[in-house]
Amino acid sequence: MGGLEKKKYERGAATNYITRNRARKKLQLSLPDFRRLCILKGIYPHEPKHKKKVNKGSTAPRTFYLLKDIKFLLHEPIVSKFREYKVFVRKLRKAYGKSEWGTVERLKDNKPTYKLDHIVKERYPTFVDALRDLDDALSMCFLFSTFPRTGKCHVQTIQLCRRLAVEFQNYVIASRSLRKVFLSIKGIYYQAEVLGQTITWITPYAFAHDHPTDVDYRVMATFTEFYTTLLGFVNFRLYHSLNLLYPPKIDSQAADELKPAEGKEYAMDSESYLERLSALSASLARAVAPTHEDEVEVDEFPVEGETAELMDAKKKEQEALEKHKKLFEGLRFFLNREVPREPLAFVIRCFGGQVSWDKSLCIGATYDATDPSITHHIIDRPRLDKQVVGRYYLQPQWVFDSVNAKLCLPVADYFPGVLLPPHLSPFVTEKEGDYVPPEKLKLLALQRGENPEEESEEEEEEEEEEDDNDKEEEEEEDESEKEEEMKLQKMEEQKMEEQKTQSKVLPVKVTAGKVRLEDKQRLEQEQQSEEKRLAIMMMKKREKYLYKKIMFGKKRKIREANKLAEKRKAHDAALKEQKKKNKKARQA
Amino acid sequence: MAAPSSSRPFCRRGGRKLLQGVSGSFPPLPHEMAAAEEFLAFNPAGRAGPAAASRRRCRGPRNRKKGWKRWSGPEARLGREIGDFLEDVGLQERAAGGLISEQPNEDLFFLDTGSAPKSQPLKKKKPPKKPPQKPLHVDLVLQPLSKVPPPKNICAYQTPNGRKERRRRQFWEKKAEIGEFPRAERRLRARLARGGGGTPQKPPELGRSDPQRPFYDIWGEHNPLDAPLAGQDPWYLQQTKRLRVQRPPRLQAKPSPLPPVEVIGQGGSYNPPFQDHQELLLRALEVETRRRREEEKVERRLKVTEEPPSQEAVLREQLQGLLEEEEEEEERDEDREEEQNPPRKREQPGRKTEKQRRREKEQREKAGARARARLALQRRQGLFRLRALRRALRLRDAELQRRRRLRERQRRLRETAPKRLGPLRYEDAGPEVQLSEELAESLRRLRPEGSVLRDRFKSLQRRNMIEPRERAKFRRRFRVKLVEKRSFRAITL
Repeated sequence: MGGLEKKKYERGAATNYITRNRARKKLQLSLPDFRRLCILKGIYPHEPKHKKKVNKGSTAPRTFYLLKDIKFLLHEPIVSKFREYKVFVRKLRKAYGKSEWGTVERLKDNKPTYKLDHIVKERYPTFVDALRDLDDALSMCFLFSTFPRTGKCHVQTIQLCRRLAVEFQNYVIASRSLRKVFLSIKGIYYQAEVLGQTITWITPYAFAHDHPTDVDYRVMATFTEFYTTLLGFVNFRLYHSLNLLYPPKIDSQAADELKPAEGKEYAMDSESYLERLSALSASLARAVAPTHEDEVEVDEFPVEGETAELMDAKKKEQEALEKHKKLFEGLRFFLNREVPREPLAFVIRCFGGQVSWDKSLCIGATYDATDPSITHHIIDRPRLDKQVVGRYYLQPQWVFDSVNAKLCLPVADYFPGVLLPPHLSPFVTEKEGDYVPPEKLKLLALQRGENPEEESEEEEEEEEEEDDNDKEEEEEEDESEKEEEMKLQKMEEQKMEEQKTQSKVLPVKVTAGKVRLEDKQRLEQEQQSEEKRLAIMMMKKREKYLYKKIMFGKKRKIREANKLAEKRKAHDAALKEQKKKNKKARQA
Repeated sequence: MAAPSSSRPFCRRGGRKLLQGVSGSFPPLPHEMAAAEEFLAFNPAGRAGPAAASRRRCRGPRNRKKGWKRWSGPEARLGREIGDFLEDVGLQERAAGGLISEQPNEDLFFLDTGSAPKSQPLKKKKPPKKPPQKPLHVDLVLQPLSKVPPPKNICAYQTPNGRKERRRRQFWEKKAEIGEFPRAERRLRARLARGGGGTPQKPPELGRSDPQRPFYDIWGEHNPLDAPLAGQDPWYLQQTKRLRVQRPPRLQAKPSPLPPVEVIGQGGSYNPPFQDHQELLLRALEVETRRRREEEKVERRLKVTEEPPSQEAVLREQLQGLLEEEEEEEERDEDREEEQNPPRKREQPGRKTEKQRRREKEQREKAGARARARLALQRRQGLFRLRALRRALRLRDAELQRRRRLRERQRRLRETAPKRLGPLRYEDAGPEVQLSEELAESLRRLRPEGSVLRDRFKSLQRRNMIEPRERAKFRRRFRVKLVEKRSFRAITL
């Protein structure tokens, strides 16, 4: 029995992990520097499976990193920059203390800096990788660009974030890649499809800042530092994919329209360019002049069966998408001064609309409120005194709802002062059997091309006319429904009887042949249901058990949905009643 | 009344400028007052008034020698005053060349007509001859005492390597005639000939967070990032450590499968549908009640029992050690009982006899045979219990399936749940919610709820990218000392 004694914690999990403090010492960095480095390099702490083993018998809660990750960090050139910076700060402090201003100047000139370009390349080896991780970057940049230019974080960072965010918005406009918008109480969610990747990001409302104290600003600033670099490179690539100039240039035609003198009241020359870009009202200059390519038609190959169906479906989808992209084409919007300009301008321009605002509101206004060609005037106040004939006055929600519904919604619900229909989330997709709110049902019907609006309106009118006979009417409605059902049932019974008679009555004598009425659809259905029944019968017990469970779940879902619908009905009825009462009270 | 003695020097010509401003209100000179009785008031004691004089008079007892020793008394005062006066006159004569009161006004004052032209020669007066000044004692003391002269500084008279340098200079002068120059000069001339002041200084590179910083195609073929290493031998680069270390593929995986931006539910819309809003409210309520319950639990634990201990309890506590004897006695009784019938010691098993061994072996064999027989019988009978067996198997299968599903679900939950990465656990910030009456009627009236910044921060924590941390507490190293300044003392009435 030879061999050395096995010592504890010298192999296995204990050697794979390293605590944060040991890692910090290994890298010879201070804790803030270490945290910064980890964030920049994308190295995150790990939770080991057996903490006690990793922690060498102790159960103290610690932060662990993988040892291999830390060894990888050792190769990073930025680490030495961090150390240099520490020395620089020490020297600078000393020079200040001694009041050696010359030394201070010299030191400041030679301040050690680092760049994150190589880390971006390393973390995202391909462009698509970077696109996939853009959600965070965009959210962070949009968030930081709304920060006040005082304290908390560097003004330069904020300015850079603003620039990058505006550039990205301009790209989305130019490529028409916005798909969904959702106004939540927290902020505005956007979803775009960029080069086949769906990108979701959130922007805060303007002036909506309470600065939370439980947030580590330094950590957030570090993330932003990395994400700005990433977003810059992504923007460059995106612009080049559309043949746009980068840094973006406003189209010369549009620039002429904007009149250079106009901007002077708003911003200094150095800033006015970004301001004009951020107005989002002008199109961008292209590196190669856009040639109006005739639409490239995809070669059609003869295909059979399912693939053909698939192709058809794809084609339809493509057409719908194209139509969606041109939703606001030809419409001219005017934004009143009380509506949030930036999100509205962004969304409208993303779908091909033209937009303008009051000249005193922001730079980049292209036409006046008195322009007769304006088709939609977005307004968010109960009423407007001077209304111009020939344009719709609408609340801003119309724009967002239309974008989500992929069609220009009927304007009647969105007139100023009218109680708005609820703003539905485009990110919610109902599964089969789920409860679907009536508003969504209406919308789906609209998308299918039906128009339930008129019927319901008529109904409402009738109801209003006949306040007292309301209940009766409802009953009548119910009755009519019942009658219809009865009719259907009768028809079915008749058919069934016919079939039965056909099968039962033996042909005693030869009569003239009758054309047998065969309901093909019905037969098919019957066959299908029969097959299903048989399949269920043939199931193994275990599978049958599972199947029953699934079916039970579905039924329960439907039941719940029905319950919700009833609840909603009751709620609506209560509301209606109250309205009526109010009306009566007003009339009285 | 009188000019203070310290202001005397500005009677001098040199101090003229000082006098310019106040020439109108110059106080009467002491000489004029000399005739008057009040000239006594010229010195500080006199200025204080008769009260001070009387005080001076009765200073010190006269019955001691000490009292007499002081030069005091009215005569003394008179003498002092006269002395002061004479001194003053002397000063005036010394400084201004005569009594100021006797000098003409033109000498003392002049009309201020702005800045006088410099060309106007000032009437210069010879400064009174000063007696040759004696060197100060301090300087004398500091003189070197040694008679030996200090060594001379050679470098002040000759340059080091002077001869060599001179030769070299001569050498290069000769060479210059031919047209050859030393290396440094040659390079300088060459640079001049190239036309320019050396290599043009690069403009400072814009930092990583400069708002105007440029970007380039980092994923392209020819990017500036890879350009310096492009086309070189990879083996050479690797050996010289110029090649970047490859990022291990393990790091490309994200630490959590959660999406980076989780969109708020439909109830969080600024103008939500009724049902979804109710659901959201319900969820928020649940969170809130849970939080409340936990708080209450803590409070209940911390609550002091309101009832004070009863008198009986107090008495019992006070008598705690005193009643122990009885118990001890009881214990002793028990001990005695134990002694009377001690537990029987188990006998050590001795060696088994041959017979015992044989019997045991036989029994073992018999038991084994019986067990085998039973098993065989069972197996045979099992053929007729096939259905029951099958059912048992199915049940077991079902049970295993169920467990597997459970494990799967738990695994999925574990994956999405935030991990514990440090001393603190991740705490979810409840759902953002607006009550029914807080909901905005229009976009203009909307008051945003929650903060996007906090949302992002919490999202990073939820996705295991940063560990939850508490803000470091500020600890003062030294006690703060409160001092009330005398000049700013608070008035307390």
